[in-house]
Amino acid sequence: MLANFLIGLREGLEAGLVVSILVAYLVKTERRALLRPVWMGIAAAVVVSLAFGALLTYGPRGLTFEAQEFIGGSLSIIAVGFVTWMVFWMAKAARGIATELNGQIDAAAAGFWSLFVVALLAVGREGLETALFLWAATNVATSNGTTSSVGPLLAAALGIAVAALLAWLLYRGAVRINLRRFFKWSGVFVVVIAAGVLSYGVHDLQESGVLPGLDNLLFDVSNVVDPTSWYGTLLKAVFNFSPQTTVLQGIAWLLYIVPTMTLFLWMVRNRPQPRRDRAVADKPATQEKAVA
Amino acid sequence: MRRARPLAGTALAAVLACSACTVDNSNSNNGGSSGAPQKLTVAASDDACKVSSDHAPAGTLTFEVTNKGSKVTEFYMLAESGQHVVGEVENIGPGLTRSLVVQASAGRYVTACKPGMTGKGIRHSFTVTGG
Repeated sequence: MLANFLIGLREGLEAGLVVSILVAYLVKTERRALLRPVWMGIAAAVVVSLAFGALLTYGPRGLTFEAQEFIGGSLSIIAVGFVTWMVFWMAKAARGIATELNGQIDAAAAGFWSLFVVALLAVGREGLETALFLWAATNVATSNGTTSSVGPLLAAALGIAVAALLAWLLYRGAVRINLRRFFKWSGVFVVVIAAGVLSYGVHDLQESGVLPGLDNLLFDVSNVVDPTSWYGTLLKAVFNFSPQTTVLQGIAWLLYIVPTMTLFLWMVRNRPQPRRDRAVADKPATQEKAVA
Repeated sequence: MRRARPLAGTALAAVLACSACTVDNSNSNNGGSSGAPQKLTVAASDDACKVSSDHAPAGTLTFEVTNKGSKVTEFYMLAESGQHVVGEVENIGPGLTRSLVVQASAGRYVTACKPGMTGKGIRHSFTVTGG
């Protein structure tokens, strides 16, 4: 019961964290119109993943191991690109808030497809694996034999539901903190998540044989951090921390996080903060609406 | 940000094309000359990893792994050295059955279940014949 619940929770959080930050951002900056492509992207990711997963589960053909890892790995790496774009788009837009409130720029419309793709990839990159897991649980629940049991499916569904609840709580919390702090911390958080996703994608590509060095481990702490425990699950879900990390994964993680984080921190810190600007940025979202 | 639109379109198209081609790949391999696809079953539990046969002809092999234990398990097909991963299926929760599809050429291999996803796993040797 707990084991299947934790898998559902992990897969749900992996999909939900970035999206809840994005939604909080759009709501906070009064760009609610742009929530539509985000919901559309999430819906498309869910539908495509479930459909593809069902085709592989119930159809005559399976997907080879290499192909599945290749899909998961390359989608993860593409997702990192779009999520990174999202972080800087948010930071830049934060910088320009004062100008935007003056009605000069509305970058909103241009972001439609990008936001659609960000949501699609953030949720869909591991969607196939989640779908295959869920269909396997459904299979057990619907089989006629003695093995029939709804337990695993219920547990997995409950895990996903709890993940959704946690993502919603994150959104609620993010909406409440002041705008400037939100931009900084959500950006830092998302860059850390993205670095984990990149490292994870590299591992998938190593498993698929596209990249070498799968057996060349940087560290192995799997006897200290039990991957089936709740904390192992959370570490994996949030930071994509794998107790067995390859050298190439470690290198990719560092090569991504060091310049990206530096650039991001420089961008949110190194700017003139005239009092007027600060006053606008610190106002709660409701008042900004009134100004706009 | 307007530039992002064609970029997004290209990425989407690439992803769609890619997933399509990999399915095709597995199709043609299944129907290829390397022999009929073989189905094996694996009974995995917290302390056992029983593969229905210790050998199979070269070609497309499908391992249907059923987890009868209480821990989440993973199933691996490894090269004889036990180091190189030929194929792996993870997230096999208790009570679930999941498939691993691999294209195997003749040779000696090792199968392994990893209940709890840690350690070297419960290993057995496995031979792929012909080619």
